[in-house]
Amino acid sequence: MQTNRKSLVWHIPLLLIVLVIILPILFMISNSFKTLHDSYNSILSLIPSHPTLANYITLNHQINLIRVTLNTFGMATLVTLGKISTGLLAAYAFHNFKFHGKKIVYFIFIATIFVPFTTIMIPNYLVISKMNLLNNMLGVALPQMCDAAGIMLFLKAMEKVPTSLVESARIDDIPERKILMNIIIPILKPNIISIGAIFFINSWNEYVWPTLILKDKGSFTLPLALQNYISSEGGTNFPLAMALATIMIIPPLLIYVIFQKYILNSISSSGLK
Amino acid sequence: MLSNNIQAKEKISSRSGPVKRGKKMNIKPFFYLLPSGILISIFIGFPVLYTLYLSFFNWNLISPTKEFVGFNNYINVFTDPTNRQVMFNTLIYIGILVILNFVIPYLISIIVNFFIGKTKGPYKILFFIPSLFSLVVGAMLFSWILNPVSGPVALILRDYGMKLPQWTNSGSLAIIVICLITNWKVFGYNFILLLTGLGSIPKNIIEAAKIDGIPKWRVIWDIVLPMNKSVSVYVLILTIVEGLQYVFTPLNVITQGGPNYGSSNILYHTYLNGFVLYKTGNASALATVTFIIFLILLALEIKFVEGGRKHAD
Repeated sequence: MQTNRKSLVWHIPLLLIVLVIILPILFMISNSFKTLHDSYNSILSLIPSHPTLANYITLNHQINLIRVTLNTFGMATLVTLGKISTGLLAAYAFHNFKFHGKKIVYFIFIATIFVPFTTIMIPNYLVISKMNLLNNMLGVALPQMCDAAGIMLFLKAMEKVPTSLVESARIDDIPERKILMNIIIPILKPNIISIGAIFFINSWNEYVWPTLILKDKGSFTLPLALQNYISSEGGTNFPLAMALATIMIIPPLLIYVIFQKYILNSISSSGLK
Repeated sequence: MLSNNIQAKEKISSRSGPVKRGKKMNIKPFFYLLPSGILISIFIGFPVLYTLYLSFFNWNLISPTKEFVGFNNYINVFTDPTNRQVMFNTLIYIGILVILNFVIPYLISIIVNFFIGKTKGPYKILFFIPSLFSLVVGAMLFSWILNPVSGPVALILRDYGMKLPQWTNSGSLAIIVICLITNWKVFGYNFILLLTGLGSIPKNIIEAAKIDGIPKWRVIWDIVLPMNKSVSVYVLILTIVEGLQYVFTPLNVITQGGPNYGSSNILYHTYLNGFVLYKTGNASALATVTFIIFLILLALEIKFVEGGRKHAD
């Protein structure tokens, strides 16, 4: 009885944190359905007194919402597919082969995680503009298609595949390509989906690199479009910005609702050494 | 093309028989490493070296000629007053990020793991939600919540006769708000990593200490924290390395480094020099210094985290 009461006390700070984390999101969604007038005058009410879709309609007049969403979706899909394929191939090499210089190559891959984006952004900008890919989704996606952190996640996942399975397939003279395609990938399917979901969410939200490459409004992704609605001098039309943000958070939320268990497992495993 | 190639090589190597296999160089793994190797070379390896090269020149990103200036740009990093302020701000950022994004999530993960019984799941699920969203969303939300004139916090404070300061006019207040925005995003992520580390400590060790009558806080301080060292150092380093890059987004959205570079840091100043002021040389020197700082952190990671892994084996 006493321990129960004690643990109840500990729930108080935790529930406060939940409130601080979740309330802003709820207010954001609520404000997106308020008029500008209501958003000032009934700022603290979570349920809009005169719910309206006006912000969404205005938004759709001001920017090509479908185009911007498709841009974001296309870019995120490209990056995700790129990271999954390069990551699986590299992880397979590290996990199932012994070769000269493996430790050094692995170390270089890991070290790339510690390269700050500012150290590579100027040359990458020059490369992408030389390739004539400014204002182009491919210009955003290409430099991000390989991710050492992703390779590590795939490696972690592959550790659960018994090495004897690969060895016996090799004895049966099954080509390596087929071992990867027909044995490893089917076993790792849940991991690939959850790691892919993490990749997709991350590049859906990506801001820094696209902001350098995409200057033309027609090529904007959602984070760039949202940034355009935030004025640093004040005077931001918050209901409008919040309507755009609400649209923006739907896909990551949906993915999370569906794959929550797998995503959290992948995140947890990435920290365990 | 590539897969044909791999197949051909496979046939050759399988014909050469198992006896010779061990002796000759195995080239198959390199085909698997090729796609990521090419991408990493072009978009990380080459850029790192080219930035190093550019740091010895004065250039404006467009002009056909670059002026060689030796180590001048590096001397500037430590003597130019703006650069020095930005370096100092970077240290402040690191301090605040460590407290907000490492110490606090660690305390909370200890509470969740040791003090509340078995209801961990809902907290994990709920704390993680903001990690799903863009920092641009976070920046927008916080500039609404903390708007000193019309934001909800300002209105509540007004009822109690208090005022919210114009934090965008003060470098140090802006730094705190910007760090808070990244905290909103990474709190749940770091919390889960640390909680998993705590959960992997064998229960019987903790139970044994409890039976011996050792108070809980001593068990945590003397047994749990040391045993969780490799995970916590990993999260600590991640907090600094990722955190300094995360603050870029709210900085660019809300203050653009202002007022008067007061909220800028070494990474944002690199961007400003490179793409706004077109001082590519200064930007590249700052970028290289940042890289060196991160390499030191990498060395620490290898010493504590990878070393800890061997220990665990």
